[in-house]
Amino acid sequence: MEKLAKAVLNLRWFIIAVVFILTVFLGFQISNMEINSDVVSALPDDDPDVALFKKVGQDFGGNKIGMIILEADDIFHNDVIYDVKKLTDSIGLMEGIASVTSITNIIDIRSDQFGFEIGKLIDEYNLPYSDEDLLRLKNRVFSKEMFRGVVVSEDATATLIMFTLTDGADIQTVGRAVIDKAESLQLDERLYYAGMPMMVTAISELISRDLIRLLPIAFLVIAIVLFFSFRSVRGVLLPLLTAAIAIIWTLGIMVLAGYKMTMVTNNIPILLLAIGSAYTIHVINKINQVKEKDFKKAILSALSYIFIPVTLASLTTIVGFISFIFEAYLTMIKDFGIFTAVGTFISAVLALFFAPAVIYAFSFKSKRNAIQENSNRKSLIATYLLLPLKNLLFRHPKYTLTIWSLLILLSSASIFLIQRNVDIKDYFKQDNPARLAEDIMIEKFGGSKPIFISFKGDVQSPELLNTMLRTEERLKESSYVFTTQSIADLIVEMNDALGEGRQIPDDRDKIEQMWFLLEGNSILKQFVSDNLDEGLIISKFASSDNAEKEEFAREMEQFINENTSDAFEINMTGMPFIDMKMNRSLLTSQIRSLLIAILALILIVGIILRSFPTGLYATAPIIAAIVVLFGVMGITGIPLNIVTVLVASIALGIGIDYSIHVISHFNHSYKNGKTLDEALEDTIMISGKSIFINVVSVSAGFMVLIFSEMVPLQYFGILMALSMIGSGLAALTLLPVILILAHRRRLS
Amino acid sequence: MKFSRIIVVLIIAYAGFSSVNVMAQDAQSLLKKMDNVIFSPKDKQGNVEIYLINSQGNEKVREAVMLQKGTDLKIYRYTKPESQAGIATLSLPDGVMWLYMPAFGKPKKISMLAKSQAFTGTDFSYEDMATTPYSERYTPSLLETNDQNYVLEIIPKDEDSKYSKIIVTLNKGNFYPEKMEYYDQANRKFKEATYEYEKIGNYWNARQVIMADLSKQHMTKIILKDVKFDQGIPDEEFTIEKLAPNNGTSE
Repeated sequence: MEKLAKAVLNLRWFIIAVVFILTVFLGFQISNMEINSDVVSALPDDDPDVALFKKVGQDFGGNKIGMIILEADDIFHNDVIYDVKKLTDSIGLMEGIASVTSITNIIDIRSDQFGFEIGKLIDEYNLPYSDEDLLRLKNRVFSKEMFRGVVVSEDATATLIMFTLTDGADIQTVGRAVIDKAESLQLDERLYYAGMPMMVTAISELISRDLIRLLPIAFLVIAIVLFFSFRSVRGVLLPLLTAAIAIIWTLGIMVLAGYKMTMVTNNIPILLLAIGSAYTIHVINKINQVKEKDFKKAILSALSYIFIPVTLASLTTIVGFISFIFEAYLTMIKDFGIFTAVGTFISAVLALFFAPAVIYAFSFKSKRNAIQENSNRKSLIATYLLLPLKNLLFRHPKYTLTIWSLLILLSSASIFLIQRNVDIKDYFKQDNPARLAEDIMIEKFGGSKPIFISFKGDVQSPELLNTMLRTEERLKESSYVFTTQSIADLIVEMNDALGEGRQIPDDRDKIEQMWFLLEGNSILKQFVSDNLDEGLIISKFASSDNAEKEEFAREMEQFINENTSDAFEINMTGMPFIDMKMNRSLLTSQIRSLLIAILALILIVGIILRSFPTGLYATAPIIAAIVVLFGVMGITGIPLNIVTVLVASIALGIGIDYSIHVISHFNHSYKNGKTLDEALEDTIMISGKSIFINVVSVSAGFMVLIFSEMVPLQYFGILMALSMIGSGLAALTLLPVILILAHRRRLS
Repeated sequence: MKFSRIIVVLIIAYAGFSSVNVMAQDAQSLLKKMDNVIFSPKDKQGNVEIYLINSQGNEKVREAVMLQKGTDLKIYRYTKPESQAGIATLSLPDGVMWLYMPAFGKPKKISMLAKSQAFTGTDFSYEDMATTPYSERYTPSLLETNDQNYVLEIIPKDEDSKYSKIIVTLNKGNFYPEKMEYYDQANRKFKEATYEYEKIGNYWNARQVIMADLSKQHMTKIILKDVKFDQGIPDEEFTIEKLAPNNGTSE
């Protein structure tokens, strides 16, 4: 170790130069960082439900439909109709927009005894003005299933302007442009934006806003904590500098490896700031503690001691992150696991090589001062916190144990109260426009979660079309399905207009010839494949309740099985079913990643401390802290979601370090001839201080996430801080008590 | 005869618009010359092949026998694809259209209120297919004259039009349009038609027209074959009864 330490100091300028060059190089890469907020793209391709969903979205363009909701007291008012037309026309002329459909330009088929008229619901050049005209329009809209609850809400207070994007269009650019355009018209009605493209736009704007806003706050918060802990420039600047470099490297590598920023990887910078600064703090702390007059010797001695603890600390943290790579359902969580692991490794390397090189190269000799401050502060924390704590533990070890036992018991019971939530709507705060838009979609337009039922076969056969109709009827039997659309509906509509009744013609020739009229209609693309071998029912599901989804899926699956024939194949997919899978996967991935992490940690700690039982002791406090964490989630109603599912394993990886600290220190003192009490007192008074500082700085870093724009990240921040405090507390109270009791039993 | 008609038109135009500047007048006469080339045959008949080509280059083909008299009477009898064989459309004055579908028997009257709507799957809109002369529907101005072409900008008089303007490139020698570029209301070019001509008898026949929708990346190619002009087709050919095969005697 000493050789390595010497090498670090001798090669200091080289190390600094390399770090500098790499930082500049990787920093430039970050400017190419792209945001991918498309939740669909994060779903795993190997899931058949997802594969079908993605394919359908691509083939039929369903993922490219955006909606503007226009809300007014009464849609059937001439001013409102005028505004809808203004909006429809303005959006239609924008770059990247393929088509716009609204009440002012939607196609309507009317028939009389001579024939039929393919026209529009509203003559856009002669908008209805008189009360009579408006009433006629209203009656027409509510008499047709094509319009009622699809284009205009049943209570006539909201209408949709639906648009599709062109093939090559950049979703976020067009999404933002649509919002800007709509707002610039300064209409009197309230506007909301829904649909996948608008959701993606909203999320990516939140992601970039979070990145720009939160990181500086986090730096500031940690700087303040560090200042109060070290009261030296070195103690503040160096941890922040290494953390910043680690963040730059990690993000730069992400870009080079072709990864994009997602709503989960979004919190990598803050996470690395919290973790990365801690390793450098360790190193500086150790250098401060070494009572050696010669600067170089002091660094050397500190470095050769700190090498192993920091390596181990980072190793356990990496294990926590890696546990996601194997068990996550969403690819963005795997990405998160990979790059937080990479970032943690970089942080450790920088703390061990770069930080000492800088200290030595620039002769940061605030050492004496620091020691002085150090001892002052030690007495402060020691007098008011650690000493009372030590006394309590020694006098009432069983008390402490009882309190923890009760806490664990209570928490274990509450674990069953934990809710799971994968609903994308709940990513947004209550008053976020995207969430309001979702609420209106659910309330007034039968939901926003698309369901697709694909029929593979001859789309022009009466048999397939009739089965389609029956399937639509069956769908509507659910209390959460209000509208369905398909080619079969269009055929029925045409057939009626041709005077043959509201039904699918029995004669295939009739259907084929109707195609002559349908062909070229842009709406056809949403329902039928180009070569007529696949048709689609598009519907929406209005409940976010998981049990409802499960029941609906079961019933529909049964119906589909009963109605599949040799002539065609029916498959069902949709967001509700994918939500179901995500929901199930939350639990399995939570349990499995936790198990992987725990087993790996017991093994690693066992090897480090050269005793398997000690490995168990060391993991006990952090497991207790995690049980309490779950208990808090159960009691407060903070749900398990795609982000909070990460907390337990990360907390395990970081929190175990506190226990390792305590056990190593205790063993060291105990073996050096001190009594049990002396050794423990030593441990609590000295290691306690650094654990305390670490808990405070890391928790403070995570707490910054409370200011995040996204609800899951807020919860993540709170829960991470909570588990840091919990595991720190457990390492300083529960673990010593276990050690006391274990040794007493052995002695007696 | 053609020349004398042009002279008459020119004189009328000159008398009517003598207060307007010379450029505008030139443009107006050029557009009328174009109308003459397009609309002057008394009648024409031929075989039409319609290719619908999507962005991946996949083609769908339709074939029809076409009869046209003057500008107002037009009949299309589809022969391909097989599933649509026998379908026939009859266009009458004032935008009235009748459709015959063999599987349904009786012809139906269709009105297409939406002019901007695509004509049965092609990239032509009903507006593009209109038979009223351009000079009556558009106000032209001459943008450029070069060795081969006149370039006209024509602006629709009808404010319902989907177009803000069309840039027409005319052949300088024969006054037929070689290219038409269509601009939407945001003044962006979104469609482009290119023409190829052959001379048959006294007339220039648009042997091939390609209409490309630039935003949909979709193309329609229309090839007109075996064209015969001025065959003296009687008005009786353009009746509803004639839509069905065998003069409508069977269904």
